[in-house]
Amino acid sequence: MKLNFSRWVAALHLIVFILVSNAIAQEKPFRPKVGEFPPLEKAHSYQGELIFVDHANRRGSIRVKGTGVFRRNDPHPFAMLPYGIVRYHGATADLRDIPLGTVLHVRAFLPPDPTISAVPVLPINNKEKDANHNRGAGIFPAENHVLLLEDESSHCLREGKIWKLMEMEIRNNAGKIVARREPKTGGKVDEETLTFDAATRIWRGRERLDVKDLIAEKIWPTNGKKSLEEQVVQLGITWKPTLGGIFTRFHVSDIWLDDVAMQRAAQNQTETHKIFIRSRWMPAWVDAVEYGKFGRAKITATLFGGMDNSLYADFKKGSGALMAASENTLKHWAGGSAGTSQMASKGLILDVTKADGKVPLGSSGIQIRFETDLITEGIRPARVIRTRPASWPDLHVPREECLQDYKTNHEDRFPTPDIFPKY
Amino acid sequence: MKLNFSRWVAALHLIVFILVSNAIAQEKPFRPKVGEFPPLEKAHSYQGELTFVDHANRRGSIRIDGNGRFRFVAPSPFALLPYGLVRYQGAPADLRDIPLGTVMHVKAFLPPDPKISAVPVLPVDNREKKYGYSGTGVAPAENHVYLLEDEPSHCKRLGLVWRLQEVELKEKAGTIIARREAQADKGKVLSETFSVDATTRFWRGRERLGITDLTDEKTWPKNGKKDLNDQTVFLGISWKPTPGGVFKRFHISDVWLDELAMERAAQIQNETHKAFVKSRWMPGWVDKVEYGKFGRAKVTVTLFGGMDDSLYADFKKGQKAMLASSENTLKHWAGGTAGTAQMASRGILLEISKTNKRAPLGSSGIQVSLETDLVTEGFRPGKVIRIRPESWPLLEVPREEYIHHTLDGIEKRFPTPDIFPKK
Repeated sequence: MKLNFSRWVAALHLIVFILVSNAIAQEKPFRPKVGEFPPLEKAHSYQGELIFVDHANRRGSIRVKGTGVFRRNDPHPFAMLPYGIVRYHGATADLRDIPLGTVLHVRAFLPPDPTISAVPVLPINNKEKDANHNRGAGIFPAENHVLLLEDESSHCLREGKIWKLMEMEIRNNAGKIVARREPKTGGKVDEETLTFDAATRIWRGRERLDVKDLIAEKIWPTNGKKSLEEQVVQLGITWKPTLGGIFTRFHVSDIWLDDVAMQRAAQNQTETHKIFIRSRWMPAWVDAVEYGKFGRAKITATLFGGMDNSLYADFKKGSGALMAASENTLKHWAGGSAGTSQMASKGLILDVTKADGKVPLGSSGIQIRFETDLITEGIRPARVIRTRPASWPDLHVPREECLQDYKTNHEDRFPTPDIFPKY
Repeated sequence: MKLNFSRWVAALHLIVFILVSNAIAQEKPFRPKVGEFPPLEKAHSYQGELTFVDHANRRGSIRIDGNGRFRFVAPSPFALLPYGLVRYQGAPADLRDIPLGTVMHVKAFLPPDPKISAVPVLPVDNREKKYGYSGTGVAPAENHVYLLEDEPSHCKRLGLVWRLQEVELKEKAGTIIARREAQADKGKVLSETFSVDATTRFWRGRERLGITDLTDEKTWPKNGKKDLNDQTVFLGISWKPTPGGVFKRFHISDVWLDELAMERAAQIQNETHKAFVKSRWMPGWVDKVEYGKFGRAKVTVTLFGGMDDSLYADFKKGQKAMLASSENTLKHWAGGTAGTAQMASRGILLEISKTNKRAPLGSSGIQVSLETDLVTEGFRPGKVIRIRPESWPLLEVPREEYIHHTLDGIEKRFPTPDIFPKK
């Protein structure tokens, strides 16, 4: 009897512990922490149309797909996390590379620090609220700090998915396609009806075709329906106003008919981003600073992830490098007439190490150890920096991408959400 | 002697008249008037890189080339006039179609009404002001844009072509020397050095190529210089940070190697814009309203210019049409659940006329008269409207492109310049 009583007390304690833990978990939702890359699994996922871009501050707006009438959804502001990754056509990109109107897949978190959020801070449970006016729930999630922003082709390539074209119906060079998105190796199937028109680009090897070309080649009919026999493709997806009271129907902007065509698109975007990073320097954050004497210090920094491997390979032990303070927007600090180089700490790369095992998405898993004789205030643990090996060209970023040392005010460092219209 | 005295008096009067006229001209600089399309010749011309777009309000920012250090130049806000034209790859476009970074040619005026300018109002003589290292003319007061066109559109309009002189490459990147001149005769020649790299797209017939394709075909050398023998092309131009202390060097984003390739690009853009205008309705302004009884009126409007001819051809005498109020931003007015259609006046197109004279740039030269039994406040002479023939699909525009009659405030009708960073 005594034993049973003890067991009951223990069970009661366990129940109370679980309830309290749950309550704490509900009170303290997950937010990324400074100096830690958050796990992708904890991100909130949604999809929507890119409406507005403020690339200099790495933020924008997206019309989030809910369950209601898509066109009514107000553009929803988002900010890229400093280590957040943008992907376009299967390669890494900057926000400026994504055409307005592109439908994107989003993995996002609550603001790590709401007091300096560059976009509006919303109630934590906002994704559950019905937005009324037939818009449905989930169109204004509080999770507006983005870890991963990727277009349809990047999303499919990353997850090993393909589109299979089932059937089309065409009239006056425009119409509808029924298509299924599914894993290459089999699994869950999403079937969707999409529109296309005379402006849809069709990529085949090195060719860019349009609907009229496919009609001329008798691959597609001039009018009427045709089975497309599960033709395997990759799709680029946008949105256009839709006929007939349909809540949401996306539009096909691009069709890649074969792997060569997709690889060529990815290659072009990869080259664009490689040149971009060489001119803007590699973003990273500081893990540790070992202070020496007379301004000397050894800095350990983790390079952010998602870049082309050739960029990481340029960081070599024993080679010269520069390191400069940055901000959450990844803006540079500039002074005088020589830009970032004038403000940067110069030194040597002492060591380059790569973490074993799986690396979280925002990280490259690569740490560099760098020694300089000019340690500055911006280079502190967890602070965002930009670094470049001396072998990269000494290029200077344009005005809107840098903070001028004596002209910059607080709003330039921490942009406020004021530019976003309220609907 | 008397005659001489009269002559002197007459000459003196003439001199005084000229001086006074000049003074008046200096005091009253040209501004477009409501209800009149301004002459293109009176526009101020400049060129720059598109750095920011707020397409819903038809405005953005451009980094203007002022013969100083281009990267120092702060983006200069601009607003499109309601009848202002955007052209991209030789076809009409919307601001959302232009990739950030594209170098554009601009023809612009002072704000027609500074009180409701959507961009900062600057001193009238600001184009003469030197902004330090940025140079002169980088922030003109003429920021209300009549014509915004990319390089191939500019060349097509003026009958110009680029002739490639010489290329110098090293590791998939380098420079090209090219001359822009009139297609028909030599005329004025502009010689310029551009950068090219692995992201430059080459269009040949239906093919999209990269630099490596050209070097593999031995059309271009892998390393070193090659004479390009005045090869005639069209160029797409952007800007990237430039090494070597060069103040300004533009970058070649696209090379159209033949007419067919250029026509295909224009065709896709034209189809994009046709679908866009059909879904957003044709913009125009009201010339005249003849009021009848019980809300009946005959409204005569001029359709704005620059669209594909097939869109104008859809306005046919005797056909039904819808006419709706708009604003200088070309935004729609919407109410209820059916969008613009619910707020629009329905009627019959009574007359369609086309002027025999050369129409000014912003005008199509086409007037249509519509008789409706529901004339509304927005149809006043000089006011901007949207009109659609019944044959166009009845589509509803997304949230950021309309003003909601009950939910939106005055700042949606007259956006303020507050979103632009202060220089």
